[in-house]
Amino acid sequence: MARHDEGVVTVGRSRVGTFFANSTGIVFGLVMLFPVYWVLNTAFKPDKEVRSFTPTFWPHEFTLDNFRSALGEELFIPSMINGLIITALAVAAALVVGFLAALAIARFSFYGRRAIILVVLAVQLVPFLALLIPLFLMLQGAGLTNTLVGVALVYLVLLLPYTVWTLRGFISGIPRELDEAAMIDGCTRAQVFWRIILPLTGPGLVATSVYGFIQAWNEFIIINTLNDPKNQNLMAWLLYNQTERGTAWGPLMAGAIITSIPVVIFFLIIQRNIATGLTAGAVKG
Amino acid sequence: MRHGKYPFIIGFLAVPVALYATFVVAAYVQTFQLSLTSWSGFGVIKYVGFDNFVKLWEDELFWKSLRHNAYLLFLLPILTIALALVFAFLLNVGGGTKGGVTRGVWGSKFYRVIFFFPQLMALAIVAVIFGRVFSSDKSGMLNGLFPDSWSPWLFLADERWALTCILAVLVWQAVGFYVVLFSAGMGSIGEEIYEAAALDGATRVTLFFRITLPLLWNTIQTGWVYLGIAAFDAFALVNIMTVDRGGPDGATSVLAMMIYRNTFEYSQVGYASALGVVLFFLTLTFAALTLRVTRRDAV
Repeated sequence: MARHDEGVVTVGRSRVGTFFANSTGIVFGLVMLFPVYWVLNTAFKPDKEVRSFTPTFWPHEFTLDNFRSALGEELFIPSMINGLIITALAVAAALVVGFLAALAIARFSFYGRRAIILVVLAVQLVPFLALLIPLFLMLQGAGLTNTLVGVALVYLVLLLPYTVWTLRGFISGIPRELDEAAMIDGCTRAQVFWRIILPLTGPGLVATSVYGFIQAWNEFIIINTLNDPKNQNLMAWLLYNQTERGTAWGPLMAGAIITSIPVVIFFLIIQRNIATGLTAGAVKG
Repeated sequence: MRHGKYPFIIGFLAVPVALYATFVVAAYVQTFQLSLTSWSGFGVIKYVGFDNFVKLWEDELFWKSLRHNAYLLFLLPILTIALALVFAFLLNVGGGTKGGVTRGVWGSKFYRVIFFFPQLMALAIVAVIFGRVFSSDKSGMLNGLFPDSWSPWLFLADERWALTCILAVLVWQAVGFYVVLFSAGMGSIGEEIYEAAALDGATRVTLFFRITLPLLWNTIQTGWVYLGIAAFDAFALVNIMTVDRGGPDGATSVLAMMIYRNTFEYSQVGYASALGVVLFFLTLTFAALTLRVTRRDAV
C-alpha cells in the first residue's frame, strides 16, 4: 500500500479505508455519547413528556422543574454533604496510608513482601458483598454503624489495594540512583521519601485520588446496608428513594446530573494529568 | 542502604496491615465460620457442618451463576481490549499518513474527550439508563427505533440474550478508558518506527499487528487485570437492570447476586456465607493465575 507520491511515503491512503475508519469513529462516538445525552434530555423535560409512550429526542418544553423537585427533597442536601465528608475522609486516608505502604513495598525487600503483594491484589478482586455481614457485625460492635466514619473506614479498605498497587508502580519507576545521590548529599532516608519520592509521585497521587473519589462517591450498596436513610450518600439516596416511589424519571435524571457534578469538576481540574497519571503507573511494572 | 530499614517497613505497613487484618482477614474468618451455620441473621447461631456446601453443590442456580461469572470474566476483557485497541489505533494512526505525518481519524481529539464520559457516570445511573434502552416493550429506546411492524425484542426479558445485554453495558462502560490508556501507549511508540515500516511497504493492518500490538503488550496485560475485577463487579448492573434481579429464571444471576439475595431477601446468612467462601477461593485462584501470567511483581 505504500506509494511514493512526490517523494512522500503514504500509508493506507486508500479512500475507502479512510472513509471506513472515519465512519467507524462517528458511530462509536455516538454510542458513547448517547446515554449522557439521554440523561440531559430527560432531565430538562416536563413530566408528561418523559412519560409519553413515544420517546422524544429533544425536550419540546424546556423545564427546570425536575431539578427543583430533586433539590427540594428533604434529604437531598444532607445526603450530598454526607457523601462529600465520607469521600474526603476515605480518599485522604487512602492516599496517606497507601503511599507509605507502596513505599515500603517498592523500596525495601523484606520477608513477606511477595505475600503482601498477593494479598493486595486478591483483596482488590474480592467482591465486598461476601464480607458485608461480618463487616456490619464488626462495625456494630464498635458502635460505628450508622455513622459516616464507619462507612469511610470501609471505603478506605476498598480503595487501598488500587492505591497501593498504582503508587507502587510509580515509585518503582523512580530510579534508585536518585535516592542514593540524595543520601550521599546528606539526606536521611526519611528526607529522601519526603523530598524526592513524594514530589515525583505527584501524577500517581492524582490518578489514585481520581479513582478513589469516583469509587467512594458512587458507592451505594455498602452505605445502604450500614446506615439509616438519614445517613446515606447521594447515590444511595437517589437510587433507593426514587425507585421506591415508582421511578420518577425526570427528577432521577436531574439528581443524576447533580450527583455527577463533583466528579466532572474534579475531572476537569486534574484532566491535564489524567492520561499521564493513569498510564505511567500502569505501564511501569 | 541496609541498616535501619525495619523501622520504616513496620511503620509504613502497620496501619494497612491492621486494617486488612480487621476488615478483610477477620471478616473472612467470620464468613468461613458463618458458612458452617444455618444462621438467618437473627437469633441463635446453630452449626450444621458442611450442609450449606452440600446444598450448594446441588443448587442448579449456583452452577448457572458460576457459568455466568466465567462467561463475563472471559468475554469482558477480550471484547473490551479488542475494541479499545481498534479505536485507539483509529484515533492515532487510522487517518493514514499524509506528508510524512501519521494522523488519527477525523475528529480524534473530540473522541478522546467523549470516551471519558462513561467513566464519569456512576455505574448505577448507567444501569438505570440502559434498563430503559433495553426495555422490552415499545417504550424501550432500541425497540422504539425499530419499525412498528416488528414485534418488540425482549432483550433483558429474554433468557438467551439477557446476559449479553449486561455484557454489552459493561463493555460500553469500560472501553473508553482503555482507548485512552492504549492511545497514550501508542503515543509513546516512536513515529520513526511507523515510518520505517511504511517505507518497507506495511499496510494499516500490518502496522497494527506487527508494531502496535507487540509494543503495547504490557499495557494490555494490566488492562486484563482490571477488567477481570470489573467482571467480578457485574453485580451492580445485574441488581438494577435485570428482570427479577438475576432473572429471567436465573439467566443473569452471578455469584455476588446470589450472596446478596440470600443475605437480604431470603435471610439465609449461612448459605450466603458458603457462597462467599466459594467466591473467596475463586478470586484467589484468579489472582494467583494473573500474577503468574503477568509477572508484574518482577521488579
